[in-house]
Amino acid sequence: MKKTCPLSISIGLSIVFACLAAPPLARAAIKNSDCFGCHSDETLFRSETDGVSQSRMSEQLFIDKEKFSHSVHHSNGIGCVDCHADIKNLNYNEEVPHKKQLAPVNCTMCHEEESAAFKDSVHMKIRGKGITMTCYACHGYHYVTHQESMSVVERVNNVCAKCHNPYLSHDWLPKKNEHFAFVECVVCHAPEAPRHIQLTFFDLVTNKMYSGQEILKILGIAENEFMPMLDINKDGNININEFENLELMLKQKNVHAIFHAELVVEMQAMAHQVNKGTAERDCKTCHAADSPYFKAVVLLLTKDDGSANHFQVDRTVLESFSLRHFYVLGGTRMKLIDKIGFLLLAGGLSVVLVHLTVRIATIPLRRKNECDDKQLSLEKEVSQ
Amino acid sequence: MTHEKLIYIHPTPIRVWHWLNAAGIVLLVITGFQIRYAEVLNLMPLKETITLHNYVGFGVIAAYFLWLYYYLSTDKITIYFPNLSTFVAKAVKQVKFYGYGIFRDEPNPHIMTPENKFNVLQQKAYLGIMFVLLPAQMISGVFLWKVKGYSDYIHLLGGIRIIDTIHVLFFFFFASFLVVHCYLATLGHTPLAHFKAMITGYEEHR
Repeated sequence: MKKTCPLSISIGLSIVFACLAAPPLARAAIKNSDCFGCHSDETLFRSETDGVSQSRMSEQLFIDKEKFSHSVHHSNGIGCVDCHADIKNLNYNEEVPHKKQLAPVNCTMCHEEESAAFKDSVHMKIRGKGITMTCYACHGYHYVTHQESMSVVERVNNVCAKCHNPYLSHDWLPKKNEHFAFVECVVCHAPEAPRHIQLTFFDLVTNKMYSGQEILKILGIAENEFMPMLDINKDGNININEFENLELMLKQKNVHAIFHAELVVEMQAMAHQVNKGTAERDCKTCHAADSPYFKAVVLLLTKDDGSANHFQVDRTVLESFSLRHFYVLGGTRMKLIDKIGFLLLAGGLSVVLVHLTVRIATIPLRRKNECDDKQLSLEKEVSQ
Repeated sequence: MTHEKLIYIHPTPIRVWHWLNAAGIVLLVITGFQIRYAEVLNLMPLKETITLHNYVGFGVIAAYFLWLYYYLSTDKITIYFPNLSTFVAKAVKQVKFYGYGIFRDEPNPHIMTPENKFNVLQQKAYLGIMFVLLPAQMISGVFLWKVKGYSDYIHLLGGIRIIDTIHVLFFFFFASFLVVHCYLATLGHTPLAHFKAMITGYEEHR
């Protein structure tokens, strides 16, 4: 047996590990540019439609390169054949250089946790009724972007509203408009998913959100300077004073942005665990002072790719006038108002009790006066 | 007590409004506490409480317009406006009466007539309540009823928290006022005299 020197072994092992650890694209012989050679052609369509309308199929075969380049998968270096894993090579001698009928993309190869949560969801269980829900039915195919910077309405339109019209159900729910505008569907429908109040910068005059870049530009700072500038006590949390400082800084820059608050789930696998009958329906879970739904608050600096920087904010901000445009009945009430209110009540009660006590205590005095008056009038009558 | 001592002070529309308003305010206060402190109070389910609060609120608004229509159409609205030239002197007298004279069985310095049924302190208080506090409470209540529908107005007024703060502070005021008002109503020549008058319309003069 040929002896191998230790250096050769280590180099060999390094190459093996490097190959294993490298991103999938590096392993793929087929590059995205090879695919776009055909699939950037808008007129590309499939002649064998398998019963699906031709126009729809042609739409699916064309990939908008620009939109794809902004997708979360492309940003993370995921190539075409990492998902379309059954394309092993391209044979340009054929009319179609790969299999005409590709296998369905298996998202669970990468998204294991999401897959596990999804398996225990109503969307998986409906397979028993002959309906197959795929990941891309909700998330789309090639242009999946980050959702962190999306508003509730955008999130819902992007996913749930593709199939569900919330106004056709939820008859038990009062104030549908308010709830649907402020609460993301899965906050109630996936109650195990972590959630938070997300605060974004909103301009009431132009009726638009400020992006994170715009806010940083206004403040004249870099992204990594934002939290150090705000978090004066360095506890990693923006407290009420620090939050008010931010408001003041923006006002000094002549920006009168308000903080727009919405209740959303965190981008975690559990958000996929939507089940029938488990949705939150008890009003008091939210509309109470100690509601678990308002424990976490984050301030968002949104990015162009749909992702966002999250900065933890102290919950007490929800109970302050800094959030003048946000109030949840019972859930974010101000303790100061309660104190003033109970002082008002105590004041009224005290006045009544003190006056009543003196009134009762002076009954003998009034009786004596009455007797004296009667005696005086009697004496007058006698003298007359 | 002879009939010569009875004087008709409270006409029927005002008595109807008063008791509708009273029942409404009592219900609004009770349901208001349930809504605000749902985690500690369990008088009735939150959803039903809010629905009841909304219906009663609109009832109180309707009653307010009955009151307003009556007073504007009869020109009696002036009974709510104190005479500023005599206000201070009369107010001092009235405060002295409530704080001292009443305990010695002295006569009330204000003599009630249909044209002048409120003493100056009542005038001042009811002027504020009927022309500022109650309208503000009604408007803020309507805004809170349809937050999304009135969002433009709410933004103009400074935001939902401002509206809620106004509504809640005035709610506490009305809760406190309710207690004081009921007590003050017992300060007639008998503890129930004013209550009877608001049912029959006739106040008894001593």
